Amino acid sequence: MDLKMFKKGAILVVAMASLVAAEGLSGRDVIQKVKDRPDGDTRSSELSMTLINKAGAKRERKITSFAMDVGKDTKQIMFFRYPNDVKGTGFLTVDYDDISKDDDKWLYLPAMKKTRRISGKSSKTDYFMGSDFTYDDVGQRNIDEDTHTLLREEKVDGVDCWVIESVPKKNDEIFSKKVSWIRKDCLIAAKVEYYDKLGKLHRFLKVEKVTQVDGFWAIAKMSMENVQTNHKTILEFGDLKFNIPLDAKTFTVPRLERGL
Amino acid sequence: MANGWWLVVGLAAATAFAQESPFQFNGFVDTYHAVQTQWPHDLTSSRTRLRTEMRVDYEDAYLFASLNAVHNSILDDRTGVQLQEAYLNYSNNFLEVRAGRQIVVWGVADGLRVTDLISPVDYTEFMSSDYDDLRMAVDGFRVKYPGERVNAEIVYVPAPRYFQMPIQAENPWRPDMPENAILDFPEGPDTRFKNGDFGTRLSFFLSNFDFSVSALHTHSQSPVTVAGYDFEKDSIVIRGVHETMTMIGGDISMPLGEFVIRAEVAEYFGEALGYKSNLDYARKNTFNALGGIDWYAGDNWTFMVQYLHKYIADYTDELAAEKNSSEMTFRISKELLNNTLKLSLYGMFDIDNLAYYARAAGDYAVTDQVTLSAGYDHFGGKRGQLANYDKNCEVWAKAKYYF
Repeated sequence: MDLKMFKKGAILVVAMASLVAAEGLSGRDVIQKVKDRPDGDTRSSELSMTLINKAGAKRERKITSFAMDVGKDTKQIMFFRYPNDVKGTGFLTVDYDDISKDDDKWLYLPAMKKTRRISGKSSKTDYFMGSDFTYDDVGQRNIDEDTHTLLREEKVDGVDCWVIESVPKKNDEIFSKKVSWIRKDCLIAAKVEYYDKLGKLHRFLKVEKVTQVDGFWAIAKMSMENVQTNHKTILEFGDLKFNIPLDAKTFTVPRLERGL
Repeated sequence: MANGWWLVVGLAAATAFAQESPFQFNGFVDTYHAVQTQWPHDLTSSRTRLRTEMRVDYEDAYLFASLNAVHNSILDDRTGVQLQEAYLNYSNNFLEVRAGRQIVVWGVADGLRVTDLISPVDYTEFMSSDYDDLRMAVDGFRVKYPGERVNAEIVYVPAPRYFQMPIQAENPWRPDMPENAILDFPEGPDTRFKNGDFGTRLSFFLSNFDFSVSALHTHSQSPVTVAGYDFEKDSIVIRGVHETMTMIGGDISMPLGEFVIRAEVAEYFGEALGYKSNLDYARKNTFNALGGIDWYAGDNWTFMVQYLHKYIADYTDELAAEKNSSEMTFRISKELLNNTLKLSLYGMFDIDNLAYYARAAGDYAVTDQVTLSAGYDHFGGKRGQLANYDKNCEVWAKAKYYF
């Protein structure tokens, strides 16, 4: 779950804002800029995920992630390092750009000593590791799965943003729409609101810190809160690296089973 | 054997420490207790276990060992320290070698065995452990070629192990047997080169489906029981017989939308099968096939169903088993409260004997380290071992602490 996951999933955005003329820009154009944002051919990160329930009790997840672009598709492999009951669990995905093709997913369970092929379709709407992010949030969501509309422009914390409304074309999603505030300075979302099927605010994402590594903009910290259950997840990305030497053998089932 | 392994592990660990190699140490403590729901409400399982796991990395190699320290308040012979796994693993881009005590898992079935015949199962307490705890490690060598789309594997087990069966006199899971009978169930064949298990598996991981083909020369790990009479001891003797056999098979796993289709087939050549009389056995070729469907229904619901069929070729009426036999399993699970609570229902049906086993369970993660579980097991049906266990319908509780 490196930076790309969150950035392309739904949320956010980096591209060359200064080159984009606001006039005549559609919502889809902005999201396309997000998808096309330069982020290297390979990436890695150390992810720390803190889950906080309504009572304030905290749980933690720590994950190491590697990703590589293959044409328009993306391969990603994740290794869970903490807590110990899931330590060694590995998750391999191939996200296809083709909207008609389901992603490939394999899950390695060290206790079972076994890799399972899992559905690339249905798990997208499940929550990832008990967090407030869905697999869809942490994977790549195809641009044309939603209809994007540029609503307006406004400032968030003093930064100019585009406000984009994205409505799913299919009704089997867990949200009815989401509204993203995209920063014009670095083209990363400042915040995103997710609405449920009844049109009520369901989840609220806030990007709390962005950083630049090797010339690439990246999210360093963000939080997602389920405002209906008051459950919150804080994600921090450490040791961000881009264009690192990775080959196709990094993203294989044998490597998944071998672990870090 | 276990002591020898542990010495090797200790020496290697000490060496690794001296060279300041990365060292990982973790494990868990769990305690599991089950009691019959009907009179006399005896304990059916009661054990507490400390599992320690250690891994030492050195360049492209690592050493892994896991050890169980168990107190079993019902089965005295299960109390003690047991070496679960201890192996040395070396890997590079083209080769992976693992030598030592290890668990080898083949196939795509969930809890049923078609091609997965290398690591045996510990049925001492029936299925009161998690399935991964039931698996027994074997002392052997495994060499893999880890390709991008293909994985080739060769396994050699010089000292195979058989299923562990509930034969202790005090074991609540012991099947009905004649009183005062002498039981002779070996743990494995003599350690000779010709007695070793060896096999190979070729696996492919493709965009639309995974499949593998496998071949294995092994022993029937589940014993065929043959009764006799020992005139010197003036007693009935029940022997567990394990003959060699050869398996050729394959498996496939294919996602279809929200579903994953799984299948395994295998031909067993020369499988030992007992007679109805329990006085002898025959060796037959059998065809074994499993089909399964997993449904990832979303909202943290998962449904699984499997069907296993066995066909005995060249069938004779003396055999205890039917010419065609089958069983089914299913599992339904739902995760709640941000995945801290998991509710599940598992069922196993012995279709030929119209008997079944069902387990309803709840697992709650109190913290990242502590999980509490509780559940109910039900046995029933007309005949067969599952039906005979009806006296052991039980409620159980388990606590697990990870460190």
